[in-house]
Amino acid sequence: MPPAHDVSTFMNDPMAYFDRSITKMHRIARAELEPMQRAAMAARFAEHRASIAVVRRLADRLGVDRLADFDDVVPLFFPHTVFKSYPASLLDKKRFDLMTRWLGTLTSYDVSNVATEGCESIDEWIDRLDAETPLEVITSSGTTGTLSIIPKDKAGAVYTMKLWRLFLFQRFGREPTEDELYPEVDVIWPNHASGKLGHLRMAAMLKREFTGGDESRFHALYSDAISTDLMFLASKMRAAASRGELDRIQIDPKLLARKDEFIAMQARRPKEMAEFFERLTRELAGKRVFMIGAYNLMYEVASAGLERGMRGVFAPNSAILTGGGMKGFVLPTNYMDVIKDFLGVDRIQEGYGMSEISALHWACDEGRYHVQPWVIPFVLDPETSEPLPRRGVQTGRAAFYDVFVKSHWGGVISGDEITIDWDTPCPCGLASVPIAHDIMRYSEKQGVEDDRISCSATQEVHGEAVDFLRGFEA
Amino acid sequence: MSAFRVPLFLRGEVVEQDWVEFGTRGSGRSFLAPDPHVWAERLPLASPGDMADLHAVPFDEILDVLAELGKALAFATNRHVREAYEAGLVAANYPASMLKQSYVALPYVFERDYVREIAEACVGTEYLNGWVTRRLLDGRELRVRAFGARTLHVPAGNGGLVSAVTIIRNAITRSDAIVKVPSNDPLTAIAIARTLADVAPRHPLTRHLAVAYWKGGDAAVEERICRPERIEKIVAWGGFASVKHVARYIQPGLDLIALDPKRSATIIGREAFESEATMREVAVRTACDIGVANQEGCACARVVWALSGTDAAGLATLNRFGELVYEALLALPDTISTKPKTFDPTLGDHLAATRLGGEEWYRVIGGDDREGAIIVSQIDEPVDYAPMLSSRVANLVPVDDLSRITDAVNAYTQTIGIWPESLKRELRDLLPLFGAQRLTSLGYACNVAIAMPQDAMEPLRRMCKWIVEETCDPAVVPPMWQAPASADPPLVRGPEARPGA
Repeated sequence: MPPAHDVSTFMNDPMAYFDRSITKMHRIARAELEPMQRAAMAARFAEHRASIAVVRRLADRLGVDRLADFDDVVPLFFPHTVFKSYPASLLDKKRFDLMTRWLGTLTSYDVSNVATEGCESIDEWIDRLDAETPLEVITSSGTTGTLSIIPKDKAGAVYTMKLWRLFLFQRFGREPTEDELYPEVDVIWPNHASGKLGHLRMAAMLKREFTGGDESRFHALYSDAISTDLMFLASKMRAAASRGELDRIQIDPKLLARKDEFIAMQARRPKEMAEFFERLTRELAGKRVFMIGAYNLMYEVASAGLERGMRGVFAPNSAILTGGGMKGFVLPTNYMDVIKDFLGVDRIQEGYGMSEISALHWACDEGRYHVQPWVIPFVLDPETSEPLPRRGVQTGRAAFYDVFVKSHWGGVISGDEITIDWDTPCPCGLASVPIAHDIMRYSEKQGVEDDRISCSATQEVHGEAVDFLRGFEA
Repeated sequence: MSAFRVPLFLRGEVVEQDWVEFGTRGSGRSFLAPDPHVWAERLPLASPGDMADLHAVPFDEILDVLAELGKALAFATNRHVREAYEAGLVAANYPASMLKQSYVALPYVFERDYVREIAEACVGTEYLNGWVTRRLLDGRELRVRAFGARTLHVPAGNGGLVSAVTIIRNAITRSDAIVKVPSNDPLTAIAIARTLADVAPRHPLTRHLAVAYWKGGDAAVEERICRPERIEKIVAWGGFASVKHVARYIQPGLDLIALDPKRSATIIGREAFESEATMREVAVRTACDIGVANQEGCACARVVWALSGTDAAGLATLNRFGELVYEALLALPDTISTKPKTFDPTLGDHLAATRLGGEEWYRVIGGDDREGAIIVSQIDEPVDYAPMLSSRVANLVPVDDLSRITDAVNAYTQTIGIWPESLKRELRDLLPLFGAQRLTSLGYACNVAIAMPQDAMEPLRRMCKWIVEETCDPAVVPPMWQAPASADPPLVRGPEARPGA
């Protein structure tokens, strides 16, 4: 049994535990790491069993009161549907009191005192939660007419960004330099400047961590926010279309009143895109930057830039991060070269993560995603959800237990098919568990419509909703 | 390793060569079929004139051949049918008990009286077998006859009955059929065709049937068949994708009869909850509508709207009723319903989340073992994932009055099972406005007869070409080439006579 204070540091402040060194995080021997993970898992479960109603309900149902082995946690994993298990009509009816009560069963924080009177939109409700609780929830819309709401917290968001800094600028295998620990960068965010939608929440987090809140060093593609309420409408539209009930959609008058604003925002896009490029080449040419975006977005920006005759625009020690899957997009095989050529960097980092947990797993030079030490990975049988053995090469449904997550339950089953080679050390030299580069959503594999709207499809779906609103009189 | 072979049936000949491999939906196993790219060109009838032999066959002879065919399809003795059953065990989503029952029942649909009833009710034998004369007000004499058409059929794969119905409809209408075999029911149509060739070799009914497998959407195959000079109609059943991809071949001269994806619902009146005995009977009927074919059919119940009321007493009653429906579901005979072979994992995730959400909004009864489940809404709304309900998972929704009932129906609705009969009569003029196509006694949703309209239309009448022969005697019908006397009424002309039409 590892000493209790070590376990506490490991699960609550892994950066301190590993001396802020990514090399230490990923070189720790598994024989040393795993007892620590088990102890942390047991401790976090005990804590969450007491503080999160749904965890307690599930544990009671299964008769689980303590965890010892890794596989013990698997029956307790949440399907992603847990975060949208409220009736979607509560949002239509603006019953934010009931929404808060529902959210309260999923978080370790007490949210019962949040005043929801006068909340007229989802965004207003989330603002209220932001102001009155430790939470910083993120939402993501699906095609089933619902909105997932994950009760993440502010402290976790801040911490996650600090971790990102380590992984963006350090290199595995050598101790970090001062420049790597405290880099000066401008942040390029080829996306909307703000919003409560999963990936847009990140805008504020990035700004806070990497520019110290300096707006002049934060460069978003579009100046405005995406409205969560509009995305909820988009989600309802997709669901209604699939049910043959598009004629029955009720539009919230508050949202309809903003119709012209949304249309103007759509209309501004081409101009803002042009200005964005202008800024990249004029103001930021040769500078050290941190740029982040999904593959398709990154590729669009790069090929548009190359067409404008721009290449090698940033300093070579810039940090570039991408990921997020290829759903619905077909990119040419040399897309990474196109992106590198435009940006002028020799390395583009890739990360694998999901909204339900906090950790991002960074790819090594071999292109394998190395699981962060405070996250316990599982490969499950896709049919039965039983854990596959933690040895040999296993392909199946990815599931994770993140011992660091405090505000909500950290065990989640993903919709992704992954492959883990448990025994062969990764040629990159790291000791941590590697996930093979090719990850596919099961829905994609089965050729069925995914039930969530991916971040890369946000623009398209947003456009659909605005076009739909055009047909209504405000 | 391929699990089985799907030969191609070409107007009496069985093709067993040029094998290529195809995947089987869901099972991860594959099968062999003759390369459709090699054979596509030979599937359509060579010339429209070749339909003449079919039109010369007397109707009684059609009934005789079909009756013989039915007898020869006996599960105990027919090798082709047994092969189809064994292939179905691999390819279909039904357990052995239910699959076997569907083949045991196969001969009965070919019985002489049933086939005659279909012809009489769905077209009219007088139109099928000769020219029907009528005199119009303007004095002309009309003769109308229903001709067969050269047709591509894309049947659904949920049960072999669809293939049998396709072949019966083709014979009754004296049509020429190319049947595209579904991958989840790969051998039934072939088995019926081969048996037909055995009982009626070289008969026109045999020579006007081709059955082949190709992957739905394979343009290289479909573009060679779906042309107005080769076929006149397409009958497409089933999935959204299959209807959508054949729709692109539709052009002048090529007609689509779409029996597209449908969903069904149930409405239960408040009388159901008046006594324990009534509640039990209604529960069994409801369970039957949910459970038949393990809820794979479009007629199966999914959302059950109950006029139980939404107050505490109403909810308590509905929760109790939910228990009864769940019990009845598990007690259904295994020839019609079993623990499902597969369970949609996304639905499983939703169900798990609903259960974890506590009972404030929904109560889940059963479902622990993927055996089926009843979700009882505690609010007057179905679960958000209601369109996903399958594998014997249904959602009971309490309502206070009939004002919410039109929510049960939309453009994709097919059958509504209703209890009691008085409520059905009350709703029958209202629900069709919103999309309902068939209102039936609760418990009979999946008990579908063939001799009636389907999907709010008359597919057999649409499968026919309605040909007019007319005689106009200038002494009776005022000729257009003569100026009308001023006292004569103005000419009334049909739309075809309008300039530019």
